[in-house]
Amino acid sequence: MDWQVDRVNGALGIVRAIHFSATAVVAGTLIFRAVVTEPASHSAEAIAFGKQASRVAAVGLAIAVVSGAIWLPVQAANITDRPFEEAMTTDLLSTVVAETQFGLILEIRIVLAIILAVCLAYDHLATMRRVGLLSALGLVAAIAWTGHAGAGVGDLAMLHLAVDVLHIIAAAAWLGGLVSLVLLFTMVRCGDYAWKSFATEATNRFSNLGIAAVGTLFFTGIVNARILVGSVHALITTEYGRLLALKLALFAGMVAFAAINRFWLTPRLLLSKESATQSNPVGQITRNSLIEIVLGLAIYGIVGVLGTLHPAIHSL
Amino acid sequence: MSKEPTMRRAIFACVIPLLLLLGIGEAAAHALLDRAEPRVGNTVATAPSEVTLWFTQKLEAAFSSMTVTDSAGQRVDTGKARVSGSQMSVSLRGGGAGIYRVNWRVLSVDAHRTEGNFTVQVGR
Repeated sequence: MDWQVDRVNGALGIVRAIHFSATAVVAGTLIFRAVVTEPASHSAEAIAFGKQASRVAAVGLAIAVVSGAIWLPVQAANITDRPFEEAMTTDLLSTVVAETQFGLILEIRIVLAIILAVCLAYDHLATMRRVGLLSALGLVAAIAWTGHAGAGVGDLAMLHLAVDVLHIIAAAAWLGGLVSLVLLFTMVRCGDYAWKSFATEATNRFSNLGIAAVGTLFFTGIVNARILVGSVHALITTEYGRLLALKLALFAGMVAFAAINRFWLTPRLLLSKESATQSNPVGQITRNSLIEIVLGLAIYGIVGVLGTLHPAIHSL
Repeated sequence: MSKEPTMRRAIFACVIPLLLLLGIGEAAAHALLDRAEPRVGNTVATAPSEVTLWFTQKLEAAFSSMTVTDSAGQRVDTGKARVSGSQMSVSLRGGGAGIYRVNWRVLSVDAHRTEGNFTVQVGR
């Protein structure tokens, strides 16, 4: 039976990782549009980008919905220690939906996903874009209630939950922002000077969003680590701690590429906009951003598994 | 020339909170038994009317249970345990003296299962 438990645990880690990544891309893309490109310009380029961003969010939402639907039976199998075949019963699935916190959050997120889908369909309306953004933020933030942060009691639990919500939103802003940045540069390559000017302004604004996201991730990550790991010893000696250390290493890699983009390439982007003789760093920023996205997806893979493990603080 | 101290300050600002936070205290992260009434391993004069357990995390009522057996291994609880937040209780039928064993198996709302047992001495 152990292999069946392992199979369920493995599937749970994978489905969580896919769902978290897709949801992050949805929310992050809409954050990018609301915070970076819309305030930067109301030009034809900004409108064209906004439409593409909406399509990316729609694809992300579709993946999030499908992976979320798979998550339910896998979760049911996991909490009852049953193989998938035995967990796929109406009785068990309805019990999980109706009588657990996971089920309640699932129901709330389904409503948010429906609202978001409607908003994306009528994305040309400013009100729908605002409601869509709020729904996407709710969709991603509600994940906090399905994990370790949503289970605590007392004041520390409230702090953990608040910090986890911030952590999840900051991660979404970063990953989804990077996807949007790559999308923007892909459009710039096919565009003229106006596109380049728009992209330069957007990149500059994204740098500020990126710094805010990284800072938030760093400090909320410390609080999460304090609560779930508790000591350097646990970080080194437990499976949970070692996976978290790997996550931190990947995070450091992302920060390094982000720093190159921010402090080295973005200023050159500004220069190249003003002078035709300067080499254009768009290709380098795009390549670095793609590497960051891959590292970010790897982090989500780790996060998917971490949620299935007993936190390090109780594994010693 | 002024960059180096600035960089050093930035590193300290990042690393010190990390070390401080990792180096102190303890917090709960899945449902462990926090306390019980009657208390774990305690001796009570007469059989209690119910057993209540408090855990370190909120529980899923549908997937959490508790049984109480007497010295002969017979169930003395009245059936399904009641769960409220991080607390779980079960009523007991009147029983005689002896060692009562409380077995619990709970699912915390973050979907981690834990289980355990303890004994309580009733009478002498």
